[in-house]
Amino acid sequence: MTSAIQTDSLVKKFRRVDALQGLTLNVPQGAVYALVGPNGAGKTTAIKILMNILRATSGRAEVLGVDSSHVKGRNLESIGYVSENQELPGWMTVQYLLAYLRGFYPSWDANLEAELIKQFDLPPDRKLGHLSRGMRMKAALASSLAYHPKLIVLDEPFTGLDPLVRDELIHGLLDRAEESTIFVSSHDLGEIETFASHVAYLEEGKLRFAEELTSLIDRFREVELTFDAPPAVPQQTPENWMQVSSSSAVVRFIDCRFDAERTAADIQKIFGEPRNVTFSPMSLRSIFLAMAKSGRGSA
Amino acid sequence: MNQVWNIFRKDVRHHWIEITASLALVAAFAWVEIGEWSHPNMASGGAAILYGILGALAVPLTPVSWMFLIVRVVHGESLAGDRQFWVTRPYDWMKLLAAKVLFVMVFINVPLFFAQTFLLAKAGFDPMSYLPGLLWLQVMWTLLLLLPTAALAAVTRSIGQMLLALLFVALFAIGLSILSTVIPNSDFAAPVAAVYFPLVLLTTIAVILLQYCLRRTSQSRWLLAGLAALFAVVMVATPYRTLIAREYPAARADFPLQLSLMPPPKETHYELRNRIPFTVTFSLSGLPKDSFVELNGMILKLTNSTGQHWDSGWQSRGTMLFPDQKLVGTNVEINQDALDKLKTSPVSGDLFLAFTVYHDTKQRPFVVPQGEFRLPDLGFCSTTAGSFSSLSCRIPLRRPKFLMVSSEMAASTCPLSKDQIPPSPGQIARGFIRNDSSAPADAALSSVEVEGVSLVDSSNDRTSGMCPGTPVTLSNPEDAVHASVEMHIDSAWWAAYLQSLNKPKPQ
Repeated sequence: MTSAIQTDSLVKKFRRVDALQGLTLNVPQGAVYALVGPNGAGKTTAIKILMNILRATSGRAEVLGVDSSHVKGRNLESIGYVSENQELPGWMTVQYLLAYLRGFYPSWDANLEAELIKQFDLPPDRKLGHLSRGMRMKAALASSLAYHPKLIVLDEPFTGLDPLVRDELIHGLLDRAEESTIFVSSHDLGEIETFASHVAYLEEGKLRFAEELTSLIDRFREVELTFDAPPAVPQQTPENWMQVSSSSAVVRFIDCRFDAERTAADIQKIFGEPRNVTFSPMSLRSIFLAMAKSGRGSA
Repeated sequence: MNQVWNIFRKDVRHHWIEITASLALVAAFAWVEIGEWSHPNMASGGAAILYGILGALAVPLTPVSWMFLIVRVVHGESLAGDRQFWVTRPYDWMKLLAAKVLFVMVFINVPLFFAQTFLLAKAGFDPMSYLPGLLWLQVMWTLLLLLPTAALAAVTRSIGQMLLALLFVALFAIGLSILSTVIPNSDFAAPVAAVYFPLVLLTTIAVILLQYCLRRTSQSRWLLAGLAALFAVVMVATPYRTLIAREYPAARADFPLQLSLMPPPKETHYELRNRIPFTVTFSLSGLPKDSFVELNGMILKLTNSTGQHWDSGWQSRGTMLFPDQKLVGTNVEINQDALDKLKTSPVSGDLFLAFTVYHDTKQRPFVVPQGEFRLPDLGFCSTTAGSFSSLSCRIPLRRPKFLMVSSEMAASTCPLSKDQIPPSPGQIARGFIRNDSSAPADAALSSVEVEGVSLVDSSNDRTSGMCPGTPVTLSNPEDAVHASVEMHIDSAWWAAYLQSLNKPKPQ
């Protein structure tokens, strides 16, 4: 599979702040790729460099095979971009925005446009400036989907939206997932988990890891060991064990490279035979909370 | 082309109120202009007040409305900032720029062109004969107002930021004018203007292209700041004295004007400490009848016997000296502290006077007709009412380079008022219209200029009227020689002058 987005050692400095510190990323074509991380991690900066809104201090990025510093004009005919920070022309009605943008895209699909208006329940005659935040995001998304873009880039699209609108946006996106690569930044992990195929975690401008969501979910387990008597918890535990804690006769930890046989062997080596062992799958949110707390996500 | 048209239509739809206001102002301006010609003699009454108010509003507001329109249309696809939706859409920068240029041409240049053409036609001139001048006016407004406004709009993202930028420009202009008052000689020599114009033109075009092509806002802002700095550097670093010396070389032996220094006045009064008036009077001779001179500027250099010196720097003047004049006076202010230091020992001085000699060519007699009449090479003129009647003329596009109107005061057909003393035979009054620019049109909003000519005897500032039937002589003086004349002022003259100085009156 070729890459829709590829970055290599991308660095962005804002005076004394290092917003990105050597970001290397590979977004396969057809993926629904989520870039997650806490506020200020550098997600928006990375996206703005990809969209040629900002220039990188060093390193390079390619979007659909084009150097990101050349992403402009006709290159944007196959890229859809929606951001929570985007300033839409508030004086335009929804209908006029779509009619105006129609002239910019040779592949604009009038039927799809009508379908999206219906799907998102958009009021065609209402000015964008008079719409709620959720409606504005839906209008922006409709205007970015109606030309069948090969790549859809979304910067924090779900922030501040009610669950119903989030659901509508996600459905609208997933309907296009077959024909597009979707690259979405968010810190709304609950939503990301429902539709992302890949996930990358960015923290303080550095990529902690990037992998397929299924493999991530597979390799993280919450482990709970129950003993007859409180066990001695050693100072040194395997590197892949995170947040090791004990409470009377129960020891809990998170294994970030879970393998049933190997984990069982490690437990036996350190604790002997627990009375009971449970391996619980983790949600994406729990995984990221654990990593954020321990700083050992890339282990 | 589709994209250009698409953006253009969007801008028209978005800015129709601003467009309507701007067009209305252009129409109001034209209406007021025509009204002022139609009632040239109106001094009071409702119509005069109405035209006065509308004229006072329409003339400054029309360019302001253009500036506003440009700012709004450029900010429609703001080039500064990183949140505007259009930057992630497939805009072609050249097409975006073309759409904005088209908008400005359609709603500013074309209405201005039509208004100016209409004004020419209404003023009685054939617009087709003045096409180069009309086009020049378009170029001039574009270069002096529209381009700089577009450049500022390109580096700002809101009306608030634009107003702040304009405030900076205004403060900078005030700063430059203050600077010019403290830079010696800059008042007299102004060739730097020829440098400023290309600098502004190149920088504004560079900023607009840089912003539309690459959206490098900080670099563009630095470019504009660099232009401002360059202005100040040019103003400070221009070798004014060298330029003046080149334009006004020392007069040769055949210089047609002889000047003799008259004794200093018996008493010299002055109001302000540190600003002591130095008044000199010269007797004039040798000027041929078909010539006159203009005193363009002067510099006073003082030295005392211990070698201390002071000079006033070149200061501009504009005094006309005619063959029938016998005396002329002029003055310059001396710094009191400098004078106090100098006068501890005998002072002598040198006065350098920069002159332009004119040959009064193409002299032709003309009798002022009744009503409106056409004055060849000028325009349509009529006389104003009253005993000091003057000419009021509608001139197409540009004032003539130099038109002199002279008349023997005794020949005026205007009735004398009771308290007027009849003029002596041979007393000549003169008036003129002149234009230092050689451009095909003067820098104005209107294509028709209204210019007045009053006749004054410069030897005694007495006015003479031009009523129907008054014989006058029209001429087109041409400058023949630029030269500077040095006058030495000896220590005896200075001693007498210093004695004439009174203490300043208490405030």
